[in-house]
Amino acid sequence: MGEGGEAGHADGFDEGYLVRQAQEGYLDAYAELVNRHSLLAYRVALRILGHHQDAEDVAQDALVTAWQQLPDFRGESSFSTWLYRIVTRRAVNRINRDRRHTSTDALSESGTEVPDDSTQTDLAFERNETVDAVTDAIQSLPPAQRIVVVLHHLEGLSYADVATVTGSSVPAVRSQLYRARRALGSALAEWR
Amino acid sequence: MTEGSQARRLLESASQLLACGADVDELLEQVADGEADRLTEHQRHCAHCQAAITEFRALWAPVQDYARQPVSVPRRLRAAVLKQVDRLVHDVWYTLQLTELGSIRVAARVVAAVARDTAGRVPGVRVVLGRSTESRIAQLVARATTDHLHPHAAVGVLGRTAVVDLALAVRYGDQVHQVAQEVQRRVIAELKEKIGLQSVTINVTVDDILPEPPG
Repeated sequence: MGEGGEAGHADGFDEGYLVRQAQEGYLDAYAELVNRHSLLAYRVALRILGHHQDAEDVAQDALVTAWQQLPDFRGESSFSTWLYRIVTRRAVNRINRDRRHTSTDALSESGTEVPDDSTQTDLAFERNETVDAVTDAIQSLPPAQRIVVVLHHLEGLSYADVATVTGSSVPAVRSQLYRARRALGSALAEWR
Repeated sequence: MTEGSQARRLLESASQLLACGADVDELLEQVADGEADRLTEHQRHCAHCQAAITEFRALWAPVQDYARQPVSVPRRLRAAVLKQVDRLVHDVWYTLQLTELGSIRVAARVVAAVARDTAGRVPGVRVVLGRSTESRIAQLVARATTDHLHPHAAVGVLGRTAVVDLALAVRYGDQVHQVAQEVQRRVIAELKEKIGLQSVTINVTVDDILPEPPG
């Protein structure tokens, strides 16, 4: 699997060694893993959620969860694949939570003014029309389609790796991508 | 706004085939996967396919631009993660669950008590005692808490992970390994449900076999 844009670490420790050391409880080893993978965690969360603050919260939560679940990591996939899985699950939880809150808010506060969210828009991307349009188009997809688009088309994971991360099968991933590309394409055609 | 109308018509059409019989979804996949220039023999001679590929290439270009946009990680993220992890490591006598409403901590001795109580209710189990833990988490606990290390800890906890060591005496006549497995199964289920732990390891040692108590 590709590291999806992570910097190389030719002069650093081998990742397997760092993972084993972190599993033994050495914080320095985990700190190095966080150094290497915090960008991945944040970037995936940002691409799925489209919102800087939510992405930071989810990335932080995922990296802490990864530490807590390290004893269960058997090395059957790469650390980054395992982390992709944790981040996407946390992001889906966030989407579901926000949906519930939105639904409750809509019931309890109908008629009240909606808070201005403009100060919390994504600051980590350079703002431009293309980013806005693609972000909006991705956000309009159902979560399952959003995740496969982000993992395959933006992070560059293969169908097999996306299936591993999502706990799905390659045919199921392919099917989700067919639907997602059509929906995304239609949204982008409208924008153009 | 009109530039994308042809692509939109293709994508929203009821038929997923072009007039030449080519599959619209497969053409879009080819473009989206960066294979637009690798034309098949049919595509090299087909005006329908070439027109669709040209449309889809323009349509998908913003996604490819978006994928290339540099993303910078917030400076405070790493420090925030390590601060929380540090807190977990120094809270080894408690489980720790971070929720949206705050944190939930459960003392390790509560975990041990629930485990012992649950194991004691398994048919065939006569006596349940904790025993010294020799697991990886126990070693971590030892390193992190040298000031107040309990010499006979029966439980090691870290965040929402726990390792519990139990010593059993099994009733004479019962299948020892089946009783031990049932203890593991029930204690794991109980700790996950009652304490909210995510990962539980139960190490069982059968120390003795005892006869049925008289009466």
